[in-house]
Parts: sequence; C-alpha cells; structure tokens
Amino acid sequence: MADLSRRRFLKALGWSAAGITVVAGGATFALIPVLPPRNRSTPSDAAAWISLRPGGRFRLLSTRVEMGQGISIGLRQVAAGELGIELDHIDLELPDTALIPVARSTVGSDAMRETGPLVAQAAAALRSAILNKAAERLGRPVSALEIVADGVSDGIASLLTFEALASGPPLLVKAEDVGTARPRLMERRDGHSAVGRPIPTHDIEAIVTGNRPLYADDIRLDGMVFGAVVRPRTIGGQIRSVDASAASVVPGYVGLYREGDFVGIVATRRGALAQALDLLSIDEDNGPPNATADVDTMLDVADAGQMEHVMLDEGEAGRGPFDIDITLSVPLAAHASIEPRTAIARFVDGGLEIWTGTQDPFFVRDTLAAAFGLSREAVRVHAMRIGGGFGARTIVAAELEAARLARLCGRPVKVQWSRRDEFQAGFHRPPSCHRIRAAADGTGRILRWHHMFRSGHVIFTSAAMGPGLQFATSFVPDPGVGRGAIPPYRADATHVAFEDVRLPVKTGPWRGLGAAANHWAMETAIDALARVKGLDPLAMRLAALPPEHKRLKAVLEEVADMAGWSDRPGSGEERMGLACGIYKDMSYAAAIARVIRTDGGYKVARLWCAHDCGLVINPDQVRAQIEGNLVWGIGMALREALAIDGGAITPENFFDYAVPVLSDVPDIDIRLVEGSAAPTGAGETAIVCATAAITNAVAAITGETVMRLPVSVA
Amino acid sequence: MRILLNTKAETIPDDLAEEPLLFVLRDHFGLNGPKFGCGVGSCGACTVVVDGEAQRSCLLPAGSLDGKAILTLEGLSAGAKLHPFQQSWIAESVPQCGYCQNGQIMTAYALLAARPEAGADDIAEAMDGVLCRCGTQARIHKAIIRAQAMMREER
Repeated sequence: MADLSRRRFLKALGWSAAGITVVAGGATFALIPVLPPRNRSTPSDAAAWISLRPGGRFRLLSTRVEMGQGISIGLRQVAAGELGIELDHIDLELPDTALIPVARSTVGSDAMRETGPLVAQAAAALRSAILNKAAERLGRPVSALEIVADGVSDGIASLLTFEALASGPPLLVKAEDVGTARPRLMERRDGHSAVGRPIPTHDIEAIVTGNRPLYADDIRLDGMVFGAVVRPRTIGGQIRSVDASAASVVPGYVGLYREGDFVGIVATRRGALAQALDLLSIDEDNGPPNATADVDTMLDVADAGQMEHVMLDEGEAGRGPFDIDITLSVPLAAHASIEPRTAIARFVDGGLEIWTGTQDPFFVRDTLAAAFGLSREAVRVHAMRIGGGFGARTIVAAELEAARLARLCGRPVKVQWSRRDEFQAGFHRPPSCHRIRAAADGTGRILRWHHMFRSGHVIFTSAAMGPGLQFATSFVPDPGVGRGAIPPYRADATHVAFEDVRLPVKTGPWRGLGAAANHWAMETAIDALARVKGLDPLAMRLAALPPEHKRLKAVLEEVADMAGWSDRPGSGEERMGLACGIYKDMSYAAAIARVIRTDGGYKVARLWCAHDCGLVINPDQVRAQIEGNLVWGIGMALREALAIDGGAITPENFFDYAVPVLSDVPDIDIRLVEGSAAPTGAGETAIVCATAAITNAVAAITGETVMRLPVSVA
Repeated sequence: MRILLNTKAETIPDDLAEEPLLFVLRDHFGLNGPKFGCGVGSCGACTVVVDGEAQRSCLLPAGSLDGKAILTLEGLSAGAKLHPFQQSWIAESVPQCGYCQNGQIMTAYALLAARPEAGADDIAEAMDGVLCRCGTQARIHKAIIRAQAMMREER
C-alpha cells in the first residue's frame, strides 16, 4: 500500500498522520490503540465531582485511579484546602464509570497537573454554594460568614453544622460556578491548609490491617467462580485442540469453554482451577522460535543509515571528527507489579458490571460494550486500588476474559492472571538500541550531537492493536518511543532520529515510556563526552544548558551541593555518578549515586536527588514517588532484563526475574524544589536520571562507558 | 482440619484439604490481608505466620495445617489498637500501592518475634525475599527499626 492510501486509512480511523488526535469511535477491541486519547476534563465535568451529602460528609469523586502514586490523598488535600475543612470530612471514591463523566486514563504523571486545579475550582464553587445557602438560612450576609472545621461560623460562634446544611438533597455545584470560581490553592500557603502537608497514602489503615476490601481480588460475589485462559506456550502460537478429560474429574471443575481462538477454563475454587489447568492436554502450533539475540539483531543501529523519523535536525553539522561514537543497548523489561491483573465480571439485568484494577476505566467500559453488543451505559466499571500499575494496566485484558467466561458459564467470574501469565502474556518495556555520536571543544561546548535509535513500540502496542492498526500506524512515529529524546543541551548541530520496529514480542508503556531509555542513553553519552574531554561532568552539563532550562540547572546545582560532588573521591572502588533530565517539559530531576565495586558486583551505597515538580501538594507522597523512581533506576542499571527463548518469554515467576530488593536500596536523600506555582507530575520524573547516575558511577570506577543494561558483573 | 486462626478456633472443611492455605484464607474465610502475587513462593505477598514462623501461604496445602496456629495481618491488632508494626508502617508512611505490605509486615513481625534484637543483616536476610515493586524498601527498613524500638519499650 502506498503512503497516501495508508494516510487515508489512518484518517478514516480518526487518526492523523502527525499524531493521535481522536479515538476511533465504536471500534472493537482489536482496533482500539492503547492510551486512547480523550478530551481533558472541563469545569462542567468537575461540577459532578464534589458535593456535600446528607450527614454532613463531603464526597469527592476521583477520575484518576489509585495505584500508589498518591493521587487520592493529594486530591483530598486540594479539596480540603480549598474548602477550609479537615481532610477527614472528605470521602474520596475511586472512579466508577456510572458516577462520573467520561475522563482520561491515569497515565503520563498527569493526574495532579490535569485534575488538581479543577478539583480546586470545584471545591471553591462548593465553598461559595455552602456560604450562600448558610446566608439564606441565617438571614445574614455572605460576607459575615466563614467555613470552619465543622460548619459555618460568623467568626464568633459556629452557627450551622455541615450536617444541618446538608439536610435534604445533597448540596451540589453548578457547572457555570466552577468555571468562574477562583481557587485560593496557588496563593495560600499559610501552614493551615491541607495543601503542602506530608500525609500517608489514602486507605493506609486498610492496607496495614486488611480490614476492608481495597483491591480487585478482595471482591467476592455470590455464586462467583474462578476462570483462567488457556494460552499458547509461544508468542504467535495457536491452540489446535484441548482435551479436558483428565481435568474434568478434579472436584470443583466447572467446564472448558472455546470461542474462536479463545479457550478458557472455569472452576469453583482456585486450587482446583490450577490443578485442572495442569491436567489439560493441549495440542498447539508454536510461533517462530525467536530468542533475545534475534530481537537484538532487529534493533541493532551500529551500522544503520538514516532513521525513518527525524525528531530534530538543526544547525550546521560540519565535517570534523566525533569525540565519541557509542552504541548502547536497553533490554526488554517487565512491569512486575506484585498484584497480577485481576477482574471480576457479572452480567445482570441486561448489563455488565466489572471490578478491576485498571488505569483506564472508560477504555474498559467502551471495549466491553463493543465486545458484547451493549450500550456504554449498560457497562459499569468499578476501578479498584491497583497493586502496582507502571503502565501495565492501560490495556483491556483480564476484564475481557472475565466477561467472556461469565457469559459462557452463566455465573460471575473472577479471572486473576498467574505470575506466568503476567510475564508471558503481558506486554513489556521495549528493548532499544542507541547510537550516539558527539563532539565538543576543549571548553565543553557541544559541537555536534547525533543520536539515532531503534525501539519496539510503546503507544502503538501490539498488545492492544490488531494487524490493521499496526499496519496503518507503521509509518507514524510512535510518540511513546520518542519521548524525552531531544537533549536539553545546546549544540551547534543536533540530529535526533529513530525507527520503531515491530518486534515479535509484545511491548508497550512502562514507567517513563521512551524517556527512561532515551535519557539513560543521552546521560551516558554526555558523561562519556566529558570523560574524553577531561571535563567535570557537572560543569559540562551546566555549561551546555541553555537559559530556558534554568529549572534543570537548579536541580543539578542542588544535588551537587547535597552530595558534596566537588569533594568526591577521584579514584578507587567507590565513586559518584551524576545525571539529570526533564520529563514531558514539566518536571525536572537530577540525581547522584555513590556506587561501590565489590566481589559480588556493584552496590549503590547512597542516592541523592533534587526534584522540581512545581507546587507540592503532599511532600511525603512526592518523595515516595521519587524513591520509587530511584529504585527503578537501580533495577534498570543493575538487575532487570527479560529473556526470550524458543519463541516465549522465559521467566515464569520472580525466581527468574530479578527486581531490586531491600539490601539493594541505600539511604536516599531528597530535596524538593518548587519551581512553578502549579503542580506538575512526579510519577515518572526521577527515573530519567536515576539509571544513568548509577551507570556513570560504574563508568567512573572502571573508566569505561556502560554500553549495555543491566550491568551484571563487576 | 482444625486450626487456630487469629486466636479463634476454626475448621477447614475436608474438601479443601488440597487447596492452598492462601485461597482458603481469602475465599473461605474472606480475609483480605494475605495476597496472591505469584503462587510459587517467589514474592512473599501471601505471607502468614504459622506456629510463630513466617510461611508462604500459597505453598501450604490446607490439609497440612491441622492443629496449627495461624496468624494473619488481620490478627495483629488487638481491637482498635494497632500493633507496633502497623503503627510504624503508618508513621513511616511506608505503602505506595500497598499490595506487598502484608508480606512485609508479617515477615518482619515473625523475625522480631523470634529475634527481638535482630540487626541490619538479619533484617536484610529476612526481607530480601519479600518483593516490593513500588520501591518502599528504605521506608520498610525504617519502619522495622521504629517497631523494634516501640516493642523494646513495651517489654
């Protein structure tokens, strides 16, 4: 097919060649891409989010799911700060598609940036509504009244409790009032507001006591049975036939169900389900026997010519030699959330109800509606707390499987992926290969920066896109792959280009998307360049940063001060490494790692990070996100690689896939810088500098650039 | 099978003898504390304490537990008063997603119950096998030290 007709095909699907603008409405499961774009929430949406209910409790409906990133407590703080009340007056509910207007998914570290200010506006509007109602009831002017801890006061005595105000119908907010509300959030930091206070995650008491249901697996329905999908052993494999005669005698076995390529099994108990699954006799065709080395070959850029997607090409390249020419490899890696995908489906009264830990409840709703021929309103999705998201819960998987089995067996079904399913049927961080060539003069001025790379897909993932959309998007640059690849450093000439490669393994969004790998490559290269030129890595970075990146400069200087960079040891088995980066033009971070070489390998002895995500709503939760990102950096640098062999992902459990453990994690020092009056995002920021800070410390020990992740042997 | 579950006498029906303890706790007794993470003992999310020892409940057939005392996360607190481990976990604001924290708390509880003066190496040895993907390890370490101090005072 010629380019032109492919463009037309894309257009017909509602996609533009320049990027994604609209989702293909009403498309079926296989045709909807991951992270379907949706409009931002509006003040009129936000009007539905907050209310004062009978009993005097405030209800805040979140549009964003909770996966440990702290958005729930953060939004409660914003609302409480705006209303001028205590946090514990506000009940927050996680997304329920029957209760809130359509909203975006919880991705891209955007939840606070996009919904925080709207929650503040809605809360400010509710504040006015409460004062107006109180004024009416009391026959006093609004200006004489104020909101206090338990109700409305005239500054001397409490006159009306929230409970009294809320007798009758709930006190709601009008859309037009939200639009004109002027929240105080950004100006008021007097220490009395809930905003700016360090507070643990929402529902922490339930987490440490187990006293009530939080996660999808805590949902138990009457008559519910347990289901699993019988999957081919290899990627691209196909099941020819299944003999369940041995399985069917297991007490608790309910049945085997086949519908097209789909094969599922159901039992009344989970132990019975696992036993029956083991006893199935499966005849299958295997997919191509790819191994890690085959994927590496597909991505190799060492001798490649021009890349298909040019992100930036500016300045006069000149003809001088390059000072460095390095080829860097990032392997396939797993999300490895401790909670496996879990969903419960129940068909009732012509509708479908789903409980699941998803990053995108409305994507689940629309996908299931299309799959089962239901109206969108007939499908209700309850978003449960997620036991670790990291990008993995952006597709519709266990939800569709549970609903299919529920329909086939006629009972409510819980599908919980096995750990093997998570590794072998999930999607993963794409591997990538980067060639960076660069030259600098003796003062550290960068003359030429030339970065080309190949990666598996991120947004246009085969985990959610069928062959049609894969083909249609095959010449559109995958925006997830390119994320964060434009260097913050000024150079006389800069060239950045990439190709996304359709790999024989499912890849997709993983914490930081392309920014994690691209920053590791860039921050490795700038260090290598400094080393060749005999320059200090900090001084080289500071000199190359243009004035518009003053917030990046600020965190670099901050972290250098924290770690005592200028007094660091200049030789030996214990050295420091430095790196920095910008996430989505909104958040800034710089990290320093102190790494020791031991007989057992490299050990991170200390980590420092300076971080700027603008106004900090909850410093404790922001710090937690930074700590998490730094630990993911340890994983990327020293531990994680997901092997493929014989056409299948090799690991089946955590014995086969190393993630950082307690003794891998050192003391961590963090400083928060608030470089803007509005909040941005912290969920994926520090990962852009954590990995390279560690590998640059390794390079300082060995004198050799780390070219391949993870660093394994000392 | 007769067991003591969080100090209460309970019976596990005979037809669940082959069912892993984790599923009996979650699906028969309706407990939320112990979590399924891997099913093969590689992550520790399902940890419970059996006769004083931290065990991976996904690996234990219910039939092997006759006469044993099982303690789960739900059994740590005495009424409304949270156990020092639960208090410390809140004071250090340990959880992010929270899913693994059952295993972290129960493993640390069993460690300090057996060795009240456990040091950094003991803690690392016990806790390295309990995975946390969010990256709360530094806080877990602080919370164990805090709980240890609280329990020392209570003694």
